[in-house]
Amino acid sequence: MASFAQAPPPPGSNDAKVVADFEQRAKQYLDWREKTVGKTPSPVNSPEKIVAARHDLANKVRVGRAGAKQGEVFSSEIADYFRREIAATLNGHHGKQIRSSLRHSEPTEMELQVNQSYPEKVALQSTPPTLLLNLPELPNGLEYRILGRELVLRDSDANIIVDYVPNALPDIAK
Amino acid sequence: MTVRRASLQLVVCAFAIYAAAANAQTKPDVRLPLKDKSVKFAAIGDSGTGERDQYQIAKQMDAYHKAVNFDFVIMLGDNIYGGHEPPDFERKFEIPYKPLLDAGVKFYASLGNHDDPKLEPLYKPFNMNGERYYTFKKGDIQFFALDSNYMDAEQLTWLEQNLRSSKAQWKICFFHHPLYNEGKMHGPDLDLRNQLSPLLKIYGVNLVFSGHEHAYERLKPVDNIYYFIQGDSGKLARHDFHRSDQMAASFDRARTFMIVEVVGDTLYFQTISQDGETVDSGGLSRQAATVKAASLGK
Repeated sequence: MASFAQAPPPPGSNDAKVVADFEQRAKQYLDWREKTVGKTPSPVNSPEKIVAARHDLANKVRVGRAGAKQGEVFSSEIADYFRREIAATLNGHHGKQIRSSLRHSEPTEMELQVNQSYPEKVALQSTPPTLLLNLPELPNGLEYRILGRELVLRDSDANIIVDYVPNALPDIAK
Repeated sequence: MTVRRASLQLVVCAFAIYAAAANAQTKPDVRLPLKDKSVKFAAIGDSGTGERDQYQIAKQMDAYHKAVNFDFVIMLGDNIYGGHEPPDFERKFEIPYKPLLDAGVKFYASLGNHDDPKLEPLYKPFNMNGERYYTFKKGDIQFFALDSNYMDAEQLTWLEQNLRSSKAQWKICFFHHPLYNEGKMHGPDLDLRNQLSPLLKIYGVNLVFSGHEHAYERLKPVDNIYYFIQGDSGKLARHDFHRSDQMAASFDRARTFMIVEVVGDTLYFQTISQDGETVDSGGLSRQAATVKAASLGK
């Protein structure tokens, strides 16, 4: 069986500690959310029920995290780690193809705010798989999204921006 | 304006569009063999605009369903463009495909970049069972619906495990972003191709349907795999192709949908425009896998 995830930083290294700290913060967020607002509903026929459940979840997250600031999950250390990993990936073996995929993924730019909903009418920019494979794995319910040059941590159930890394990607137009 | 009045206006408007769409040619020109016990299905991509052209395609699909009696429809992403409020689900899915839904036709959706990756899997009529990616079987075919927006390690591992354990005669993948295509609007997703195509090749996938590029294209087999791009069942990008030897057929002058019938080792397909014109059709033989997974130690 192939293993698709890339090798993590060597155990005991500073990078390994930084990644472990990030994974802990992501887990803490999800634990808090599940404790506060419960789990995802089961599939139903009614879009009204699905949409209402999403709005309810998003409102509870916003209220529960009122005052949350950029950098609470992406510490400055992990933000630096992500910038280095992404730059290395874009300059690596598949860099040309990844840059091509990024340019073709309907790049979007918008001003980001923690606790803001990802706008429903804006297409979700697809995230190149090779880039995903080089980032720490996330628990279900959280995902990475690229928005222009920012790397967003998105609560996929609530459609909320949990945190983001500014200028995580180099300018791919160059 | 009350919600009820707004909703009523929406329904009236949608049915007016549906009625206007009925003017298109609806007499089916079926080119499938229509054998007993075959698997018959339709494919649509980039469909969910809620606009007149989508309704016209839906009308043609209904006419062909009456003649062909396909059991289900695969959706190649961008199922709901724009907002995802309840009226959007009505106007962009439930109303145009109501005759098919009423006839018991099931829809199996995959996610495009305009879809909501959490809401749509929870919407029961899309038959995603709450998952971004999933598999289902029909006769001798196993389908793999993938989320090409977010191809993470977990999904790649899931795909490998399920392809590897599949005993189906036909393995068909469908997902939004094309690995190959000659379109000018988007072109192929090269990084996705890097990660996915080795799996498709090793585990003997026969055919891939994608959307995203707003036109129709059939490619010559790549690594012994057939590729269709069908991203024009709602949106359309006219004159959307580079010339290429890789292309077997293409169409970008009107919106289309496909009907497919699998009979034993042959897959028959027919691509039909919103005006009822057949723009491509034929039969494809099931390939032998180019590489045996076992020989690679997988």
